[in-house]
Amino acid sequence: MQINPIISKDLKIKMRGWKAPVLLTVYMVFLGLVVFLNFFGSRIFSPYDYYQFNPAVALNSYNSLATLQLLLLMFITPALTGGIISGERERQTLDLLLCTNLPTSSIITGKIVVATAHVLLLITASLPVMGTVFLYGGIRITDLLLLFAFYLATALMLGSMGAFYSSIFKKSSVSMILSYITLMVFLVGTSIAYTMWSSFSSRYTGKPPDIAQAMYFMFANPSYGFSSLVEGGNQGIGIPFVGNIFSFGMYGPYGGMPYGSGSGMVTTAIKPWMVNMAFDIIISAIFITLASIRIKPIKRLWRRRRSGIKISLLHAVNHLEKTVGSSR
Amino acid sequence: MVIIEELVKKYGKFRAVDGLSMEIEKGHIYGFVGPNGAGKTTTMKIIAGLLKPTSGRVVVNGVDIADDPRGVKKKIGYMPDFFGVYDDLKVTEYMDFYAGVYGMDRRESVKIAGELLELVDLTEKKDSYVDSLSRGMKQRLCLARSLIHNPELLVLDEPASGLDPRARVEMKEILKELKDMGKTILISSHILPELSEMCTSIGIIERGRMIVSGTVEEIMKKVSHKRAIRIKVLGELDPAVRFLQEQPYIGSISAGNDHINADFDGNGETMAQLLKGMVTAGIPVMSFSETEGNLESIFMHLTGGVNDNAN
Repeated sequence: MQINPIISKDLKIKMRGWKAPVLLTVYMVFLGLVVFLNFFGSRIFSPYDYYQFNPAVALNSYNSLATLQLLLLMFITPALTGGIISGERERQTLDLLLCTNLPTSSIITGKIVVATAHVLLLITASLPVMGTVFLYGGIRITDLLLLFAFYLATALMLGSMGAFYSSIFKKSSVSMILSYITLMVFLVGTSIAYTMWSSFSSRYTGKPPDIAQAMYFMFANPSYGFSSLVEGGNQGIGIPFVGNIFSFGMYGPYGGMPYGSGSGMVTTAIKPWMVNMAFDIIISAIFITLASIRIKPIKRLWRRRRSGIKISLLHAVNHLEKTVGSSR
Repeated sequence: MVIIEELVKKYGKFRAVDGLSMEIEKGHIYGFVGPNGAGKTTTMKIIAGLLKPTSGRVVVNGVDIADDPRGVKKKIGYMPDFFGVYDDLKVTEYMDFYAGVYGMDRRESVKIAGELLELVDLTEKKDSYVDSLSRGMKQRLCLARSLIHNPELLVLDEPASGLDPRARVEMKEILKELKDMGKTILISSHILPELSEMCTSIGIIERGRMIVSGTVEEIMKKVSHKRAIRIKVLGELDPAVRFLQEQPYIGSISAGNDHINADFDGNGETMAQLLKGMVTAGIPVMSFSETEGNLESIFMHLTGGVNDNAN
């Protein structure tokens, strides 16, 4: 099987030179520093004995890093993917790709992979740093892999969204802005909608809001799935930092974590991160399909359908004329 | 090889291509001539599968492009009039990339890319970065790129535009080689004398319509009853052009850098009177001679008006 040539070419271009390794090094040093300060700070300010280890510190570091990386993913990916197609147009290289027999879906997916690869490289490289928590327990390897899968799904969703806007608008800046606006609707808009609904329903029913119903409002919200995933991973110990960042005022029974272990599950089988990842995958498929159709110069299916409709109409008109003619 | 039937491309109410029909035979070099905005690029983009026509048909090697765009694209090598290159990519990597796009394996692409770079005389630049190449080199590289999948038809939109005279000659030589290799070539250009030298057929297009199409000889015959004169004057050409525009036997006029070409519809006596009239009017005539009709004068005759870009 041949690797998508767009991926191999663009990755080669991106990784060439000094910028990529320097960025990676700086990022790793930064993460290392965050972990170090977390441990160091907790020892200095710990009320316990200096030599006594508190396992919550390791989990705190893990959650802080996980949150930091999600923020990085959410705020860098739209900037990288906003110019996927419009950038090719601006550089006058899109026609050279479209005149080949490479499917437009391969162009779009190749471009998404390359644009998100840089962020994903940083996240992959950070996995060993995040793995320091294994020294103290509390997090399983499957939790870490699940978190990575969640990042992948979120990156795919944001990347395909950027590609979609980029295929419509000529300027990269416009598609970037629209990607950020859509992300804000997913993050803040859904939370506001849920908060309003839950406060109204509490007022009129007199019952506390049903946390499980958050799914109907928050399925598109990356923080919804993420919060459940992180706290679920650490077995419900609960790090308010993560919950407070993403709960947007929806305080659950466990200190600001409406989706945490036990409390946030939609059912025992369906968890928020599952709903969120399923949404990411479905919306990505829709965005990629629409973007591929959008940049395809000759839309074969539509032409055939339209010509089919045209032929059917002509047949109908002919038939009508014959019928009218014979009746006269 | 290529059959175009009643091709129409509309942008709103504007008809960029207006019922264009033409045919290109296998192994021919077809020169597509027309003023700016005539619809050449639009037609070429439709042939290359980059634009959907409003109506009409384009058939390449018996296959309608609307029925099998991907299949037809395999048979076409397209070189646009304006194109960009990727930064931070070497010449061989650039060729490799497009070979990969057409599904060629690495070994095959290395071999073919090497041959094509030799054809366009860029072997010495194979390890250079694409964005560091000169305009002429980039044009040649783009031509090599369009040949990577060994297409039967080459669609070249103004391949010599923006090139210096030497680079133009080099491009012309490459196109002759491609013709010898049996490629069918559709080429648009404003450099009419160059087209007349290498094209087997010519199509003149204006406002989206084909005015005349056929072999160079056929077109020459169609308008051979016209005589053409070439006048060189000292200094400004404008007074001479204005004088000629007022003369009864003068048809279309094209002004070059230091000379004027004009269609003349009179006899020897009227030609002598014209020269006498110019001298009497105080126009400093340096030379005045009758020339054989060339493609440029035919083009000017058919499309009308004064062409400021004539060579």
